[in-house]
Amino acid sequence: MQTQLRQALNHLFTLSCGASVVLLVAALLLFLIPMLKKGAVAVLFRGTVEFRKMQAEQFDRGNEEALQKEIEQTAQSRQEIYAILDQFSRGIDTEKLTDEVKGLYRDYGDELRYKDTPKEQYTKLRSQAKIIRNHLLDAFESIDKTEINEYLDAVKVFEKGNSFSGTTVEKMFAVADGFQKTIQHVDLSRRGEYAEELSVVKEELYNLFGPRPEEKTPQLAMRRFGATRWDVAQKHLSFLLWQEKWVRSDDGQSMVSRKVRRDDPQYGSFSGTSLLPLFTLVEETLDISLKPRFTFYWQYFIDDSTPGHYFGGVGPEVLGTLMLTMLAMCFAVGPGVLSAAYLVEYAGDNLIVKIIRICINTLAGVPSIVYGLFGMAFFVTYVTRHPGILSAAMTLALLVLPVIIRASEEAIRAVPQTYREAAMGLGAGKFRSFITVTLPAAGPGILTGIILSLGRAAGETAPILFAGAAALAPIPDFGGKWWLQETRALSYGCYDITVGDKLAMMVPHKQFGMVMTLVMLVLCLNIVAIFVRSRMSKKLRGA
Amino acid sequence: MMKITVRILMMFVITLLAGNAMAAEKLQIDGSTTVGPIGDAFAEAFKDKVSITVSKTGSGDGAAALVEGRCDIAMMSRFMKDKEYKAAVNKDIYPVAHAIAMDGVCPIVHPSNPVKGLTSDQIRAIYKGEITNWKDLGGADRPIVMISRDTSSGTYETFHKLVMKKEKMTDSVEYVNSNPQAHARVKSTVGAIGYVGLGFLDRNVKALTIDGIKPSQSTISKGTFPVSRPLFLFTNGYPKLGSVVHAFCTFHLTEEGQEIIEDKGFVPVTDY
Repeated sequence: MQTQLRQALNHLFTLSCGASVVLLVAALLLFLIPMLKKGAVAVLFRGTVEFRKMQAEQFDRGNEEALQKEIEQTAQSRQEIYAILDQFSRGIDTEKLTDEVKGLYRDYGDELRYKDTPKEQYTKLRSQAKIIRNHLLDAFESIDKTEINEYLDAVKVFEKGNSFSGTTVEKMFAVADGFQKTIQHVDLSRRGEYAEELSVVKEELYNLFGPRPEEKTPQLAMRRFGATRWDVAQKHLSFLLWQEKWVRSDDGQSMVSRKVRRDDPQYGSFSGTSLLPLFTLVEETLDISLKPRFTFYWQYFIDDSTPGHYFGGVGPEVLGTLMLTMLAMCFAVGPGVLSAAYLVEYAGDNLIVKIIRICINTLAGVPSIVYGLFGMAFFVTYVTRHPGILSAAMTLALLVLPVIIRASEEAIRAVPQTYREAAMGLGAGKFRSFITVTLPAAGPGILTGIILSLGRAAGETAPILFAGAAALAPIPDFGGKWWLQETRALSYGCYDITVGDKLAMMVPHKQFGMVMTLVMLVLCLNIVAIFVRSRMSKKLRGA
Repeated sequence: MMKITVRILMMFVITLLAGNAMAAEKLQIDGSTTVGPIGDAFAEAFKDKVSITVSKTGSGDGAAALVEGRCDIAMMSRFMKDKEYKAAVNKDIYPVAHAIAMDGVCPIVHPSNPVKGLTSDQIRAIYKGEITNWKDLGGADRPIVMISRDTSSGTYETFHKLVMKKEKMTDSVEYVNSNPQAHARVKSTVGAIGYVGLGFLDRNVKALTIDGIKPSQSTISKGTFPVSRPLFLFTNGYPKLGSVVHAFCTFHLTEEGQEIIEDKGFVPVTDY
């Protein structure tokens, strides 16, 4: 009976151990796989011609000739789209027309003065031009077709007079003709509604194709290019095609969303207008006008980024994180191992040593932000006098010090007493036997502590928040005092990109990409350390 | 193995250095997370002339950094407090404010909410916990979920002063740490109300009118929208004419500066 119970208990134990391992692996996969999958999108995606344009302009990359050829190929299909848009906007966007006509009138005045027209004639012609201008402006304002036609006819009377042939005023007549043609297809009473929808269409076309070739280059890099990625382009295409209307549901209480295509012949906001063909044209020619191609953007890991991480990569962040982590390790490993050695080998078992142990254990549990504040209050104020890489690395070193001491202490303690006795028996002193026998034997254990702290140091945001991390900082100038410069870091970047800008909402792939880079970096550092550890223990075993 | 690793690292460093044009002058900018994006974008425009560091640690820290000489320009989403000003003057630092842009704090709800606008009294009543259901405001029978920014943010301070009239919010208000979070929370919660800066309005949330006034570029720049605030850069004294700091603090007056401010979702001060 007892044997059976013992066996059952044994099986139960084995089962629960196995289950917890499976659970652990599942949790790890559940955590890592989606993050890596989403993060990979920052590096592997279908880049459009806009992406290649951006790469060429911002990073001097790619084949210029091939790019020019591509741009020319895409220009044609884009031009067709713009032509439809312009034709339609003429009737709707009267502000632009008004500005155009006012400008033409001013130009005509200049032209007359330039030609030294006699004063009498000048006054006459100028006032006539003014009448034409006012008629046109009235026509643009009006929403009644017959009224508009009256104004335009009044303008045409002057055209027949021939006194304006060959002058700028002819252009005004052309505008009048164009306007007359457009209003035939437009329901003018709905002009306000159209104008609002048209601004959405224009914005989405901008998001797809970037500024038009004749427009001046925008200031910010983020406005200079259209959709650089095919997935982003698809999103904007659906915003362009589909209009989300919120209508009251049948119970009259809440609102429900109805999606309507903008060119739907019955319900679409542009039904029956000359803009209708634009939507299917954009949809059908999108791959011609953007030329998506599979892109492996490995430079993501070394590229600088435009502010707000809209374009570019995480190069400076990776470099900053590496520098901070390595420097922190340099500061922490020496003192950490030495104090562990002291605690095990030299210190006795008295009250003071006990207090020191309690202090170290407490330090290991102190929240990281406390270290951050200490770093600002002590290192930044008294040691470096300037927030920078050095003060941040020292703060991080302080953070990981207790972990390293604890792990090293355990590792040194675990070295069999017989090793030390053998060393001493051969005549080695206490110091010598520690350096040549105990420390190498404890090496793998100490490395485990270092591996744990590496990941912690690379991933902590709070300690470096005030001590030397910046959202935007130049790459450290290694010719000068680089240790006093602030640096970007992956951990702080992840924080900044989520809380800072509205841009982060527009480029979620960059957010995931940065997190993925941090995870990969920690993973790589760990793999290197584990590799070193396994070689070390192999050597110890005498293999 | 070692050699390859070293070589890869070298390549990495060299690539990074090659992309970094060495600018002689340095500019240290510190402060508000709200003004941060403008700081970033201005920095992009100045990147060939000067090497700029932007830290976003909050308005309070920006003021402290200016007083302690840790930065050249402090970004602040509110004016300096009396205490901060006195501390500065005691240290022989004379802060000068440059209002570079305007921002509006806009109340937002889920797009399915039929309510189009509220009065500021109604909003105050919601956050004080006096109105708890949308049906009292002409909406569906659904409890109101109140989202607020954390109490240390400038956005909260503006809302607290101008809408709440410094009265305490009820305990059931949910606090979030950033504008994107507030936006995400309202986007995904049908009965939610929250408030964000003008730049965060988009098709996923519905902006409410306050006292019948729609949040927009023109109402905010004129100050008719009740929850508008200026955003500041602070320098120690008026910057020396012709210096980089001077150019940076007056950049918002140029056409390029205004274009950037608009692209970042703020309102230029010169937009009347």
